[in-house]
Amino acid sequence: MTLAPDTDAQRGDAGRPVTPGSWLGWVSTTDHKRIGLLTIGTSLVLLLVDGVFALLMRAQLAQPEETFLAAHLYNQLFTMHGSGMIYTVMTPFAIGLGVYLVPLQIGAPGIALPRLTLLGYWLYVLGALTMLAGFATPTGAHADGWFSYPPMADSVHSPGTGPDLWIVGVSLAVTGSILMGWAVLWTVLRRRTRGMTMLRLPVFCWSMIATCLMVIGSFPALLAAMVLLGVGRADPDVFASNVWNIGYQHIFWFYGHPVVYVMFFPYLAAVAEVLAVFSGRRFFGYRGTALSLLVFAALSMSVWGHHMFATGQAANDYYSLTSIALLVPAGVEYFGMLGTILGGRLRLRVPMLFALAFVPQFLIGGLTGIMVGTPVIDYHVTDSYFVVAHLHYVLFAGSAFGLFAAVHYWFPKVTGTLLDERMGRLHFWLLVVGTNLTFLPMFALGYLGMPRRVVTYATFDGFGLLNLLASIGAAFLAAGMTVFVVNVLWTLRRRHLGRAEPAGDDPWEGHTLEWATTSPPPRLNFPADRPLPPVTSFAPLLDRRTGGGTA
Amino acid sequence: MSGWSRSRTSDGSDRDDGQAQRGDGGRTVRQRHVFGTVFTLEAVIAGGVFLVVLAVLAWSLLRRHARTTERSERPRVEAFYVGALAAFAVFLVTWTAWQNHEEHPAAPREPLRVDVTGFQWCWDFRYPRSADHRRVTGTCKGKDMPTLVVPTGRTVQLRLTSRDVIHSLWVPGLRYKMDAFPDHVNTFTLTLDRAGRWRGRCAEFCGQRHWTMDFWIKAVSPREYDRWAHGGTAAA
Repeated sequence: MTLAPDTDAQRGDAGRPVTPGSWLGWVSTTDHKRIGLLTIGTSLVLLLVDGVFALLMRAQLAQPEETFLAAHLYNQLFTMHGSGMIYTVMTPFAIGLGVYLVPLQIGAPGIALPRLTLLGYWLYVLGALTMLAGFATPTGAHADGWFSYPPMADSVHSPGTGPDLWIVGVSLAVTGSILMGWAVLWTVLRRRTRGMTMLRLPVFCWSMIATCLMVIGSFPALLAAMVLLGVGRADPDVFASNVWNIGYQHIFWFYGHPVVYVMFFPYLAAVAEVLAVFSGRRFFGYRGTALSLLVFAALSMSVWGHHMFATGQAANDYYSLTSIALLVPAGVEYFGMLGTILGGRLRLRVPMLFALAFVPQFLIGGLTGIMVGTPVIDYHVTDSYFVVAHLHYVLFAGSAFGLFAAVHYWFPKVTGTLLDERMGRLHFWLLVVGTNLTFLPMFALGYLGMPRRVVTYATFDGFGLLNLLASIGAAFLAAGMTVFVVNVLWTLRRRHLGRAEPAGDDPWEGHTLEWATTSPPPRLNFPADRPLPPVTSFAPLLDRRTGGGTA
Repeated sequence: MSGWSRSRTSDGSDRDDGQAQRGDGGRTVRQRHVFGTVFTLEAVIAGGVFLVVLAVLAWSLLRRHARTTERSERPRVEAFYVGALAAFAVFLVTWTAWQNHEEHPAAPREPLRVDVTGFQWCWDFRYPRSADHRRVTGTCKGKDMPTLVVPTGRTVQLRLTSRDVIHSLWVPGLRYKMDAFPDHVNTFTLTLDRAGRWRGRCAEFCGQRHWTMDFWIKAVSPREYDRWAHGGTAAA
């Protein structure tokens, strides 16, 4: 691999042997926007696939002692739902958003290391397909959950090819994420335009710095865990020793907690940008937020043991301390978001609705995170539905709302067309109702004693009503996601037919440089005949509109 | 369900075969009481924070047409706020850790030792120091669920391990769980002050019949326990 990104990106597509518009042109592209779109598009498709797995599970759990799904199939579904969503949806989407946006936001004509980025995308797609390929084997896909502890996941207790494919697939996908993470980080550090100092980076770019640092620092640990699991499947005697069983957990969670913030920061920052733009004012407490992201990333590498309080083999007080310390940077981020909307003139368009809902919904995930970070409470609620509720408030009620805010917000930049506002609102309200109806009852279920990863429960347990509510909520989510898919496909179809109204270059009165170029941006991001506005702060377009930078 | 507590454990969990594997034998939780206190406090605080954020959101939405300020930074307010957050975090960690470690008066008698082994997919409870080495196990199929019988008022030391994969012994009514690892013994103690029966289950995914791995834990009077330990069936 040659390291000549500058010349390559500046050369653009001239002299390439394939037509850029053909499928071969897409999969061999060095245009970061296309690689970003491929990544985002792939992860959105997988979001739907893994979402269907969840719907099947909710159907099975709707009533006690149901027999809709056999235990082994159910175990495959929760494994592929969880590992799929984490390894192949929320993480790649977050990094893909960075691949698309970071060069635009810093005024660069391209990404650093475009071929490495493309290789990252290929590995990610191959990894996702390899994981899913388990369903085509006689013994089915992997079925031991997204963290797959040995010895349960060794070849004695989980025979078959599905687990092997899963290990290979996860390794490929995570390698792809690491490569893309490097490229994005290198881009922010080395490709900024004139005047774009580090303290004039948009909040989203700061979030990508913190994200990529965590990707680079912690994702290799997942590779190590997968190698260990692979070795142990070849020789199950490895896991006869407690050292490697508990060792696997330590290695896994060294990856497993930072990844939570990889799946959070970019969405948080998308929400921050949307809140600022739709409040018509500069993001509040910019420097505090940038600093808090870095502190957050650093602390995230020291909290992994809070996933292991009940193992009896982790230093609980230490991990409790580092985990609860996270409330400081998290509080600073909330300070910034609330300060932005307080005293702003709010425009309640669809991206803003998703961003506003993110704030309280993610907070539920964060506050219950403090609870599960407290050992005394965790001894009761860990491995129960309380944790399932907590992580879905973080990842769905939080991050996924940020994801949809981002899609609605940047869609006109990417396609030149706005998504339909009415369908967007319907999508939003169905998701708000569905999310809370699905995941709130799970807190109670966990508290009352329902363990996670159970195919069913006894009538005796009395979990029927709460589970039924959760399943009804899942139906709302399914309806909301259907509206979203229809909205995207319908809008793209109208655009294809030339019937869509052009959105213009800056439909939202954005603050950052991507809104200074055309929609969609040209191959080298900024038209040669239109000089970039001077970068006077982290919101250069707002400065241009109001006349002058203040930060 | 009320009136039980956990006391300090004896340290150590050396394996009989000489491979010293030390578990965290020092759990010193007065569980249910401590859990109730800590959970209530954290839930109240969380509720308060949530309401404050909701109020700010509502205020912003109600006054969304009136721009009130152009300031984009308030460093002094923020510094004060960070200080308050940090102080709160320190309080929370030290207070909960203190609650976690608070010692119970030392048990007046030798603890009753029970060796607990999880396996796919049920539990095995042995009483190595009882007169005829009582042992309770089952298949966890249908009604065939083992019952862990313990006397009230006496400290019970559970030595927890597994025969195959990782399991986790969870008694939701007692608000406590502990993982059972193969090749490792985790030790903890509990004291049940009142007679009663609680449902226990496996909380760590362990394969096909993970969801059926339930058992009962039953506290009976010391006299009834002695009768049972000598072969009686009244308690079980």
